[in-house]
Amino acid sequence: MDTILRTLTYQGIPIWRNVFVIRWALQIVSGLLVVLLVSWFFINVGNAIEDRDIPYGFSFLSREYQTPIGQHFLAYESSDTFLYAFFVALTNTLIVSVVGVILATILGIVVGVCRMSSNWIASKLALVYIEFFRNVPLLVHLFFWFYVVLELPPVREGYGIAQKVYINNGGLSFPWPSPNGTGPAGVWLLVVALAIVAGFVTHRRLAIRETTTGATSYSLVLGVAVTLGISGFAWLLLSVGLIGSEGEPPFGLSYPEPHGTFGRISGGLTLSGGLIALLVGLVTYTAAFIAEIVRGGVQSVARGQTEASRSVGLSAMNTLRHITFPQALRVIVPSIISQYLNLTKNSSLAGAIGYSDLTNVAKTMTQTAPAVSIFIMIMVAYLAMSLVYSVIGNLYNRHIRFTGG
Amino acid sequence: MSTDSRIITASVLPPPRSVTGIGGWIRVNLVNTWFNIGLTTVFGFILVVALWYGLKWVFFDADWRVIGTLGGRIIIGQYNVEAACPGRDCFWRPQAGLLLVMVLLGMAWSVSGGGLTKRIAVLFAGALVACAFLPYGLDKMGLDVRLLFAANVPALALGWAIARHTRLGTVSWIAVLAFCTFILILVLLRGIPGVPYLKPVSVLYWGGLMLNLLLAVVGIGLSLPIGITLALGRSSRLKVVNLLCVTFIETFRGVPLITLLFMSQVLVPLAFPENFPQNSLVRAAIIITLFSSAYMAENIRGGLQSLHPGQGEAARALGLPVWQTTLFISLPQAIRNVIPAIVGQFISLFKDTSLVYIIGMLDVVEMSRAFIQGNPEYLASAKEVFVFLAAVFWVFTFTMSHVSRRVEQHLGVGKR
Amino acid sequence: MGLKHFVILIGLIAMVGILATACSNGDDDNGAVASEDARLDLVKNRGKLICASRNDVPGYGSLDASGNNVGFDIDLCRAVAAAVLGDPKAIEIRYITASERGPTIQSGEVDLLVRTVTWTSSRDAQWGNYAQTMFYDGQGFIVKKSLGISSALELKDATVCVTQGTTTELNLQDFSTQNNLNITPLTFEESDAVIAAYQAGQCDAFTNDRSQLAAIGSGFDNRSDHVILPDTISEEPLGPVVPHGDEQWFDIVKTVMAILIYGEAYGVEQASVPSVATGDTKVDRLLGITGSYGQESLGLSQTAAQDVLKAVGNYGEVYDRNLGPGGINLPRENGRNALWADAACTNCPKGGQIYAAPLR
Repeated sequence: MDTILRTLTYQGIPIWRNVFVIRWALQIVSGLLVVLLVSWFFINVGNAIEDRDIPYGFSFLSREYQTPIGQHFLAYESSDTFLYAFFVALTNTLIVSVVGVILATILGIVVGVCRMSSNWIASKLALVYIEFFRNVPLLVHLFFWFYVVLELPPVREGYGIAQKVYINNGGLSFPWPSPNGTGPAGVWLLVVALAIVAGFVTHRRLAIRETTTGATSYSLVLGVAVTLGISGFAWLLLSVGLIGSEGEPPFGLSYPEPHGTFGRISGGLTLSGGLIALLVGLVTYTAAFIAEIVRGGVQSVARGQTEASRSVGLSAMNTLRHITFPQALRVIVPSIISQYLNLTKNSSLAGAIGYSDLTNVAKTMTQTAPAVSIFIMIMVAYLAMSLVYSVIGNLYNRHIRFTGG
Repeated sequence: MSTDSRIITASVLPPPRSVTGIGGWIRVNLVNTWFNIGLTTVFGFILVVALWYGLKWVFFDADWRVIGTLGGRIIIGQYNVEAACPGRDCFWRPQAGLLLVMVLLGMAWSVSGGGLTKRIAVLFAGALVACAFLPYGLDKMGLDVRLLFAANVPALALGWAIARHTRLGTVSWIAVLAFCTFILILVLLRGIPGVPYLKPVSVLYWGGLMLNLLLAVVGIGLSLPIGITLALGRSSRLKVVNLLCVTFIETFRGVPLITLLFMSQVLVPLAFPENFPQNSLVRAAIIITLFSSAYMAENIRGGLQSLHPGQGEAARALGLPVWQTTLFISLPQAIRNVIPAIVGQFISLFKDTSLVYIIGMLDVVEMSRAFIQGNPEYLASAKEVFVFLAAVFWVFTFTMSHVSRRVEQHLGVGKR
Repeated sequence: MGLKHFVILIGLIAMVGILATACSNGDDDNGAVASEDARLDLVKNRGKLICASRNDVPGYGSLDASGNNVGFDIDLCRAVAAAVLGDPKAIEIRYITASERGPTIQSGEVDLLVRTVTWTSSRDAQWGNYAQTMFYDGQGFIVKKSLGISSALELKDATVCVTQGTTTELNLQDFSTQNNLNITPLTFEESDAVIAAYQAGQCDAFTNDRSQLAAIGSGFDNRSDHVILPDTISEEPLGPVVPHGDEQWFDIVKTVMAILIYGEAYGVEQASVPSVATGDTKVDRLLGITGSYGQESLGLSQTAAQDVLKAVGNYGEVYDRNLGPGGINLPRENGRNALWADAACTNCPKGGQIYAAPLR
């Protein structure tokens, strides 16, 4: 006690002017204020829920959902539980997110590179693209693409390519692997996972050897070869029936075909019209932002780097690939990650154009389940997704920071 | 000196003929390598096809009559309907607000001495005057309404004259006046009970582009200071403050805006007693502002991190207290460094105002959709409506990004 | 955001949640006081009736050519405003999507929910109290004639468009499972997208309440190319809903609906609402000239019915203006939505189901 007092009145500074005291007082007061405010809000909501008999709790999760979900990539029956249906919807969002992120990155880099091109037409077209797509609300984009997809012929008059691929306003259908029995397929996927790990380890080992000894060791090629080799060997073994009992390949191809009175396509994989419009909208929109990030990143690399690399004889393309881009990545990655997050969150507009994403399905769920609980689940799901992206981004960032340069 | 000039004269030769003139320009910019010839062909083809179909659709295939029928509702939503404004004579109020904005724009023109501000002012005034001569009426537009539209040019001139001939022609005065004008416009739109010509109009009926702009202005005005506070809080060494700011920022950044808006509509009313007056407009404004602040905070934090630590140390060495160091040394530089990101956030915010449809507000997009839905004979014109809406948004956002680029050049960002 | 921050965040959310539930348990009477505030006083003090409704379906609730709210649901709202406040214009319409209906009425933020809400037992238990069925609907399908089908049972493997957050979405699943049809739904938030998708053939059929199908179909360019299938796959009684917890308010809304219905039964029309005794006891009682049907206990003015009928007319007039010849042209004669009987004569059944508690 005595020590504290002495610290507080150090050099005769009165307590109310002591920096230490002020800081802690400030923190405690602000913390308390916020806690009070937040708890006041939740207490009131809690009271209202009790008074007005608004259902709450999470017991509904094990009940049957009994409502259809338009497009789903996982097997789904209406007799499945709420929890599983939520998971199915989450998968729908994740697929949009992952596919969208990949496509947007590719398109964004292409547009960004075009923007920096010395070719006038390419550069100006890229500029027009960026200025147009960045400056219009995504909702308007989505509706535009929705109506564009609707311009395609309906399913019965749609285009078929060699009876394998079908394009119509109901969606795009194409052949897709389907497992022949869960046993062999599962075994094979497991082997593939192991093969990828093995390939990665090979790559790392060889890469380290290359950097330490200088001997060319084709780390990437060999790594891929190991992965492919192991997976291919396992496929062969399974196909001829050496390990599995059936003796057929773990995966076959399922072909789409029109079926029923309405000629709806079944089999294969169908990306519904809503999903296509959503993907095109999200990808073209996000790509405009990514293009600007890429341009900003590349321009942030000192000019001397480019000039030096050109003067030692690298071509423009090689300069971009080996000199400029790797350095630009460090500037680009953090901003691009936040664009990935934006894309994921923006996919919640899917309900407007008829794709069953997480938000869309969850809103339908509020009909038969407590709205408050559903909201908590949506929030946690989106926060978890942003966490995953951030973690991946941070890991990658650290990776390029230490080994890339 | 003379030797220098001789050297320069000697070294400056006219450019070779191969790079001058139209032919030279084409040679340098389009067909200088085989790769570029390929690029030019491909992109040229895309350009021609896009232009051909685009223009053909715009001028021949599209049926733009729906825009005329929508008319004034695009701008003010349901503001002037019988239920909102008995007698339907309230159209002048948003227009008067517009005139006030034009006066300000005129003052800004005078202060900035022409250039970009002048171009923007002239363009907007021109567009508004053109509205006065539209062939089809803006919601049964009478002569007075047309006059009010035409009055935008005198208003611009008035602002210019005020700034030129009075003491009000400084940036700080304009800022103060802009704030007052905004409050005045809100009062004008809301109305005052008991005052003739200013019958109160419930905010529920505020809609159209007016709503988007109001939400955007509120959001922009508030999210910058809140964002700065949050950014300072996040970079603070005070643990509790830091934790609170991080929690706030990450929660609001991690969840989609429409989910937040939907929750505000469904959850927030539960926290207040039933007789507590609340409305979706205020809720929407708060949610959009907070959402934008979280992003703003991250942008500004980026700016703060980009500062050289020497700046702060030097300021402290000169004896400036922390708050002065932050306010006069760190923040101005940090903000200057991230102007593009901040304006980008403003643009996002403006675009995001179109999401208030989730809580049943008739912004310009939702107003148009509601009109189409209520009058199914216009269902076939939905594409025209969305293309038109895209153009409307584009005009505003493009202006914003253009201004930001100019400001950036003016401040010499990236050229130190 | 880093892992550390996320963990802290989750911790904080959990903390706040625990705190909230802990405190809310000891705080019960606080909220009870709030809900004792009578809704009637609330509305009167506010001077406005707040209704949750819609702006996207012609006939029920839409914006007319000059942007005004019109429709059957809107008129019901006006009728209540006329009865309680004496002014049919003293209303505020909150637009909500189908999936917001439950939470909105639960929160008590609006006084009345009139947005083509189907009466179901779980909604009655969870959302609010259903005052009176004002329209009997049933879910149907509209398809293109060119498909050549004549019954909903032929929709095997079809894709069907549906609006989100409605009973139609749930009924569709029941219908599909029951008849083993394997129908794929396409769910949209709002009706413009649904209609566009249906018209372009993205889905084979569009399902909704039959009256709404008729309303929306009336706007099609080529109405004759589409046909509403004869099957009705569900019962959809539609009517206004009031928040739980105020019986007086519940009774008021029920009575106003009864006034509309008996107004038609007794032949009292908007243009000629008598304000002096007509000699017909029933009419005079309805109009508050003699006797009473409980106005005082309800908190309504003696002549509330006059205000209502002058403001929006009787049920038949409201129907004709919005759903009948003046609106989307749904036939009413001999249908479910006709009156049960012609009250002017003692034995003239009309075969309808529109019937309310007698006003006396």
